Amino acid sequence: MINLADLEAAIRNAIPVSHLEIQDQSSGCGESYAIVLVSEAFEGKGTLARHRFVNDLLKDQIAQMHAFSQKTFTPKQYQDLVAK
Amino acid sequence: MLSPNHHEVSSPSHFQQLLSADLDRVSVLNFWADWAEPCKQMNAVTLELAKKYPSILFLQIEAEAQSDISESFDIESVPSIILLQGHTLLQRISGADAPAITAAVAKFASVSSTNPQSKTDLPPATASNTAVSNPSEDLESRMTKLMNQSKVVLFMKGSPDAPRCGFSRRICGLLQDQKVKFTHFDILSDESLRQGLKKRNDWPTFPQLIINGEFVGGLDIVQEMVENGEFAEALAA
Repeated sequence: MINLADLEAAIRNAIPVSHLEIQDQSSGCGESYAIVLVSEAFEGKGTLARHRFVNDLLKDQIAQMHAFSQKTFTPKQYQDLVAK
Repeated sequence: MLSPNHHEVSSPSHFQQLLSADLDRVSVLNFWADWAEPCKQMNAVTLELAKKYPSILFLQIEAEAQSDISESFDIESVPSIILLQGHTLLQRISGADAPAITAAVAKFASVSSTNPQSKTDLPPATASNTAVSNPSEDLESRMTKLMNQSKVVLFMKGSPDAPRCGFSRRICGLLQDQKVKFTHFDILSDESLRQGLKKRNDWPTFPQLIINGEFVGGLDIVQEMVENGEFAEALAA
């Protein structure tokens, strides 16, 4: 299991973050997380490439979880999404 | 009275011994339990069929007592019938379906009584708990062939009609919603392909969606691609 604050710190230390949401889906047990991550680091990367990138960055953290899911956006994509 | 081709299996080694006595013949494995009423009917049917088809081996396997054997055939309920030829799975029948087993035995009996179409000196392929597989074919080329068998290929657990996991079920639903034509392969049926694909596509889980022979992603990724328009692009390519 992994602490939400530690997960957040790991993400923010690794890439520029415009917006980040982390949800513990294991009712506080720190075993299963879903994140929404907005970063300019995703520019020019397809969805698979983004997911692999994040999986690699957070390899050690993910290894401490049972399940992990992510939604990724560039700042522009996120702006468009919020505007809808 | 029991006929010479009808046996009650007492152990896994007894089972192996009976099967390996003749690996060309068809055998009918009847998994039963004394607490399941429908088994009585199937037991009687297999007894009668044994008398009628002396060249076929009929094995009674008490499913719980022989749990190792039951597990290796993925037996989930009784009565269940498995038809084998040597180590090749011919057919699986679930439930007390007397007409189905009678028809199946008749069908395979006529096959085994003709001359074999080929003979080989090679030893039989090692027993696997899966449907027919071809272990001598190169794994890499098998994976390549499968990944290109249609424009969109889904490697999943189970099948679209009977998915064996929630993620596999959801990705099928998503593909159907998007009106995408696809073929599938059940990775639960072939352990070497299952592990090979994880390595090949550098992705640890199933389902895995392939478009135009290339790995695209699992459920989360495909969902995201639908939302951001990438999915339509990938299909248009």
